[in-house]
Amino acid sequence: MMAKPAMSATPTQNALAPRLADFSTLAEALDYAALGHTGLNFYDGRCRLTAVVPYAEVRREARALARRLHGLGLRRGDRVALIADTEPGFMEAFYGCQYAGFIPVPLPIPSGLGSHAAYVEKLATLLKSCEPSAVLAPAAWLPFAQEAAASFRTIFVGSVEEMKGRAVPPVELEPSRPDEVAYLQYTSGSTRFPRGVVVTQQAAMANLQGMIRDGLGVRPGDRCVSWLPFYHDMGLVGFVLGPMASQLSVDYLRTQDFAMRPRQWLNLISQNRGTISFAPPFGYDLCARRVREGEAAQFDLSSWRIAGTGAEPIRAEVLERFAEQFAPAGFARTAFLPCYGLAECTLGASFGRRGAGVVVDRIERHALEHQSMAVPFGGEDSQASTFVNCGAVLPGHRLEIRDEAGRSLPERRVGRVMLQGPSVMSGYFRDEESTQAALDGGWLDTGDLGYLSAGELFITGRQKDLLIVRGRNIWPQDVEYLVESQSEVRPGDVIAFLVPAVPDPQVVVQVQCRVSDLERREQLVRALAGLISSEFGFIAFVELVPPHSLPRTSSGKPSRAEARKRFLAQAQSASGLSMVCG
Amino acid sequence: MISQEQILERLLAYLRPLAPPGTPLHPDIDLKQELGLDSVKVMDLLMELEDEFDISIPLNVLADVHTPAELARAVFSLTEHADGLVR
Repeated sequence: MMAKPAMSATPTQNALAPRLADFSTLAEALDYAALGHTGLNFYDGRCRLTAVVPYAEVRREARALARRLHGLGLRRGDRVALIADTEPGFMEAFYGCQYAGFIPVPLPIPSGLGSHAAYVEKLATLLKSCEPSAVLAPAAWLPFAQEAAASFRTIFVGSVEEMKGRAVPPVELEPSRPDEVAYLQYTSGSTRFPRGVVVTQQAAMANLQGMIRDGLGVRPGDRCVSWLPFYHDMGLVGFVLGPMASQLSVDYLRTQDFAMRPRQWLNLISQNRGTISFAPPFGYDLCARRVREGEAAQFDLSSWRIAGTGAEPIRAEVLERFAEQFAPAGFARTAFLPCYGLAECTLGASFGRRGAGVVVDRIERHALEHQSMAVPFGGEDSQASTFVNCGAVLPGHRLEIRDEAGRSLPERRVGRVMLQGPSVMSGYFRDEESTQAALDGGWLDTGDLGYLSAGELFITGRQKDLLIVRGRNIWPQDVEYLVESQSEVRPGDVIAFLVPAVPDPQVVVQVQCRVSDLERREQLVRALAGLISSEFGFIAFVELVPPHSLPRTSSGKPSRAEARKRFLAQAQSASGLSMVCG
Repeated sequence: MISQEQILERLLAYLRPLAPPGTPLHPDIDLKQELGLDSVKVMDLLMELEDEFDISIPLNVLADVHTPAELARAVFSLTEHADGLVR
C-alpha cells in the first residue's frame, strides 16, 4: 500500500478527558476511545506511513465486521482465529469479535525462509485446539490458513478484505459481557501441545488498569511505539489493548521490519516523540550491535520516558550497553523499566519503580546454588550472581515464593513464584489437566524461580528447562522430538538444553549414537543441525554421546539439568567451551 | 532491467563469505539446512537485497524459498513488479 501524500499520523494530544482503563469490557473501552482523535498508525520498513486508523474508525469497522460475522451464522462464544499480522484488519476483526460476543484467537504468522510446511502444521495444531468457527487472515496469509484448515470442514476461512464485500445484516449487537471470555492467548509453549490461556473481560481490564495506572503511570502527552507481534501477550495486551484502553496513539512497525532494520524503531520514536515502548532484552541488544560509530546522535530519544523490558531473563549488561551507546541521543538510562509477567496473568505481574532504571542485586553464588539463598555480596565477580529488580506486584494482587512442598518462604529465599489476583487466568481452554497443574486454590504456579527482597521480585530462572533463544521460548521436548523422529535416532536418546555463551546462549543437543564410522557420525551431526535450524531457526551444537550415557531422573525421564551440569563441567575442564562459544 | 541471472550472481557473491569451509556454493543449496544461515543472517541478507534492488520483500514470499535460485526468482519477480509500478 502506498502512502497518500496527505496522510498524517493520529495526534498525541487528545481532546478527550483521559480515562485509565476504568471500563468493564474492551468494547466499552473502545466506545470511549472512539470519541477522541487518537488512533493507530502503521509504518513500513523505511518508516513511511502506510495506514492511519483513528479509534473512531476502528470502532465503526469493527461493528460492521461484527454484523458480517453474524451473517456467517456464528454463535455467541464461538472462536474466531485471527492470523495476526501487524495490519489494520487485525484490529477490526479483534474488536469485531468484542462487539458480537465471539472469542478472538490471535495466531502467529510464519517467520523465515522455507517455513511453509512447518507453519501450516503448527497452525493446524492450534486450530484443532481452539476449534474456531471462522479463520480470518490478511490476503497474503490466506492460502496458508486455507491449507491448515483444510481438514476441518466446518470452518469458514476468509480475509477481512473480502468480508467487507459482504452484506451487513441488521443484527442487534450484544457486546461481550464482563464475565465472558475476551480472547484466547496461546502461550509460546510447546508447539505439539499448545495451551490457550482463557482471558475474561474482567481479567483483561484488571490487568490493563494495573499496568496503565500503576505500572506505567500513563499521562497526557504519552505516545506508544511498538514492533512486538500482535499474537504475543506483550504485543497484544501491552501495545494493542493498553493504548486503546487509555486512548493513546500508537505507531506500529512490523516485527519483520524491526528484525531487518532495528534502527527504524529508534527512528520512529525520534520522529513521533514516542514516550512508551517495550522490547525483550534482545531488542535493545540488536540496536546496540547495529548502531555505527557516531550514528547514535542522529536519533532523538529524549522523549522516551518508559523503555520497558521483560519476557526473558534480563541481563543488566545488555541494557547498560544500550544506555551508554544511546546517551548521545538523549536516552535516559532511568527510562528502563524492568517487568515480570506472563500470559497466564494476562500480561504484567510486577513492574519496577518508574525512574529508577535497572536496579541489580548482587548476591553470593555459592549460597544461591547450594542453599537457594540470596545473600547480598560485595566480593569478587567470579563468586557473585546479579539479578535485576522487577519491582513489586501490581496492587490487588499477591505474590509468594514457595518451596517444592508448597510452603511459603521468607524474603531472600529462592523458590517458585506464585501469583494470585484478578489478572490471573481462569484456566487453559478445554485443557483440565494443564489447568489443574497451573492453578492451586486460586494461586497460579508461574513455573519461574525467584526471590523477594523488601517486597520486590528478582527472577533467578524461568521455567527451568526452557530454551530461550533471541526472545523466543522453545520447549526442549519439541527439539528432542524432532531429532528422535529421524530414523538413525531412537526415542529417549536425545537431550536438549541451553548453556551460556557469548554473544548468545547456545542450545546443546546431545544424541546417544551407536554409529562408529567417523564420516557417518559427521554426516549425522550436520544433518541434525540442519534439521533443527530449518525447523526452529537457530544453530544448535549437536554432540554425539555413547549409548546409555545420558543422565536420567528417578522416574526414567531424561534429566536436562544434570546433562547440562556435566556438559559444562566437561567443557570447562577440556576448555572445550571455546568450541561452543565459537 | 536487471536479469534473474544477475540477481543470482549478486546473491551468491554475498553468500560466499558465509559458507562454511568445504561447502561448495551452488544455486540449489539449502540456505538454512546446508549453509546454516540463522535468522539474523537471513535478515541481513534480505536487507542487502531490498536496498540493492529497491524492493520490499513480503514475508509470505519467503515461506517457500529454500535456495539461492528460488530467492533470486522471488526477487526478480518483485523487481519486475516494482518496474511496472514506478517507471
